[in-house]
Amino acid sequence: MTEFLNLLINGLIEGLVVALPALAMTLVMGVNRFPNAATGDFMTAGAYATIGLQLAGVPSLILAALIGALAIAATSAASYFLIFRKLARQPMVASLLAAIGLGFLIRSLISLFAGHDQRTFQLPLVRAWNFNGVRILPTDLAIAGTALACLAVVFILLYKTSFGRQLRAVADSADLARASGIRARGLLVSLWLLVGALSSIGGVLLGMKAVVMPDLGWEHLIPAFAAMVLGGIGSPVGAVVGAVLLCVAQELSVPLLGASYKLVLAFGVLAVALLIRPAGLFGRIELVR
Amino acid sequence: MTAYLMSIGIVVLIYALLTLGLNLQFGLTRLVNFGIVAFFAIGAYTSGLLSLKGVPLPLSFLAAMIVAALAALPIGLLSLRLREDYLAIVTLGFSEAIRITIQQEEWLTNGVQGLPGLPKAFASLGGNSDLALFVTLVLVTALTAWGTLRLTRSPLGRLLRAIGDDETALMALGKDPARFKVQIFMLGAALAGLGGAFYAHFITFITPEQFIPLVTFYVWMSLIMGGAGTVRGAIGGTALLMIFLEGSRFAKDLIPGVSEVHMASVRLAVVGLALILFTLYRPQGMFGKRQA
Amino acid sequence: MILEARDITRRFGGFTAVDKVSVSLAKQEILGIAGTNGAGKSTLFAAIAGQQGSDGGSIMFDGHDITKLPPYKRAHLGLVRTFQIPREFKSLTVHENLLAAAPNLRGERLLSSFFRTPSLSRNERELSEKADKILAFLNLSRVRDTLAGGLSGGQKKLVELGRVLMLDPKCILLDEPFAGVNPVLIDELCARVRELHAQGISFIVIEHHLQALQALAGRMIVMDRGAILAEGDPREVMKDPRVQEAYMGGVA
Repeated sequence: MTEFLNLLINGLIEGLVVALPALAMTLVMGVNRFPNAATGDFMTAGAYATIGLQLAGVPSLILAALIGALAIAATSAASYFLIFRKLARQPMVASLLAAIGLGFLIRSLISLFAGHDQRTFQLPLVRAWNFNGVRILPTDLAIAGTALACLAVVFILLYKTSFGRQLRAVADSADLARASGIRARGLLVSLWLLVGALSSIGGVLLGMKAVVMPDLGWEHLIPAFAAMVLGGIGSPVGAVVGAVLLCVAQELSVPLLGASYKLVLAFGVLAVALLIRPAGLFGRIELVR
Repeated sequence: MTAYLMSIGIVVLIYALLTLGLNLQFGLTRLVNFGIVAFFAIGAYTSGLLSLKGVPLPLSFLAAMIVAALAALPIGLLSLRLREDYLAIVTLGFSEAIRITIQQEEWLTNGVQGLPGLPKAFASLGGNSDLALFVTLVLVTALTAWGTLRLTRSPLGRLLRAIGDDETALMALGKDPARFKVQIFMLGAALAGLGGAFYAHFITFITPEQFIPLVTFYVWMSLIMGGAGTVRGAIGGTALLMIFLEGSRFAKDLIPGVSEVHMASVRLAVVGLALILFTLYRPQGMFGKRQA
Repeated sequence: MILEARDITRRFGGFTAVDKVSVSLAKQEILGIAGTNGAGKSTLFAAIAGQQGSDGGSIMFDGHDITKLPPYKRAHLGLVRTFQIPREFKSLTVHENLLAAAPNLRGERLLSSFFRTPSLSRNERELSEKADKILAFLNLSRVRDTLAGGLSGGQKKLVELGRVLMLDPKCILLDEPFAGVNPVLIDELCARVRELHAQGISFIVIEHHLQALQALAGRMIVMDRGAILAEGDPREVMKDPRVQEAYMGGVA
């Protein structure tokens, strides 16, 4: 039982972290209508940028993470402006390939400058709290709390501001939004800024939970996508719920399948979800087919 | 020098088989397959494992094609229900799932350590084995190219191009694309499996790390550079890609302080940049004329 | 009655696009469907043709219940459609467009691509001749070997018509055939439809171009906000005061 609870808690925390890139992907999917395969590598970039800033002398981890998030946000917005905006009229496969290419480029630059060695964040060493066998690391709580805070901020932006309202209008129909006078371009740049920051923080949190290496984000691309599909494409709430459900399922599968098969499980969930209920839990009947 | 050129030629021809397969799937029928390396790996490991058990190479090659095609069946069926971007990510996930499974199931595949000591193709010919392999590959690739051309110009090829152009219209005309899409998916996978078998018995030592998504996107680059949809383009693009990849090896020798690991990252960077630039500035590579 | 659609309903969320509409088509009839934008014509069309389903109601075609059939099975029974924005096969020539439409069960097999038997070649030849006859009928012979993607809008619509004719259909659903077509070609299209009609084919035509529709259709339905507003002889229907009111301020 305690083992089950430990796995559950771990899954919950990881789920909250994976919710960030899942949310990032679902926002871009809903508005730009393509899956941004570079999301994972934005996460990796964020983690490395933060480590780099720490090594360069930035005193607090939080400050480094925020500056890193700004840098990645700018990179993300630039990639939209320079690449994806121009590919919007092309068939989707063009954006897909460009996103893969962008991910490769980011990953290669990271390994060229920072090498392939695993790195870790400079975190204070703390003992886990132990409740009769159920272990909780204070850092994990901090991670979960940060993830929740980020999600809260995004949700407030989406549902309580005019920015969010306009975004959701464009997600429903780009033509409609344009007709009612919303300036789509500025809006979309802001979206990509947000998405970049979100991915960056997600990468830092993932790196804090484990180690930082060039494949960090790429390894979470399929799980993030699976979470998005599970929760329902275009549904922010769905992305979070999907991520938590998926990661809990992944953790619970470890005693059965081993840790290495977590990604295979994510793929399995993805395939089954697309077959049985492509709209996901909260999605509209999106044109999956 | 000739030996070196011949080995490049062999690799080019192996990749040409993969590109011809992708040309059938995407060039003609517009199926977005981001999981080519999965079938390449399945072909390599199937032939490798069978040959280690004593199965003669021609049979193990055949088995490689069959197993790869069968592995493509569930994905082909999935493709009927999925829009192109979902298919892309699902096939990508599939290729990673295959790689991880190969890595984990040590009892079958020897896991991370891979399969060393695979029988080299035409080993009985000693020093001339590479030449024999090269000639065989030329014949096989030529046969595949011819077959693909025949297919493209046949009624089925017409139908596949129609599917790639507009499935909805085709269905309104009384034809269900399902069967054809699955068949083409499996055919492309069989070609990739064949390429994998050739690869395995050329380098004689395969590990899971060789079957990463980068391979899939080498093939996509070949297709785009040559112009998707034409057989000439598929082969030409592959040659271009390989010249670049081999050329980069020379560059490493020319530029001081660049290690092998660095070169791997540089290649990744250039492929990434090339994908971005080609989609932005040479879309005809992806969507050009698709006749022959 | 060759086609009987009863109580077709289509809802999108809270919005009802088509509200219990019944349409029947007699053999060798040309039925016109008009209505302002958003009246539900295209949705009704899609339900009859099969691209969309119906939230209730039934459709009978030529004695068969086609309510749950996918589009390709409806085409087998002889019910075909064209599209408002032409869906020509861009990378095929005009001739190939028609050949791709032809039911060609044996020729389109994988093995047949590599092994051409004499009977298969004969089959191809017959289909090719049929396609050429249809192209001549549609005055498209000039562009037989041009890539369909390079044609004008009106020509593309003719290609679509040519394609469905390869199936020897019983009933053709035309979705705004005159939209974006120059007047000369509109007359051509009308003439071709009348000739086909004389040969026994039934038509349902959606159109905004009321003049052409009135001249073509033997009977007309006007829709508004998901329901049938008026039905009957085209001239009478257009004079109906309710129809006049619906069109005032709307796109005519």
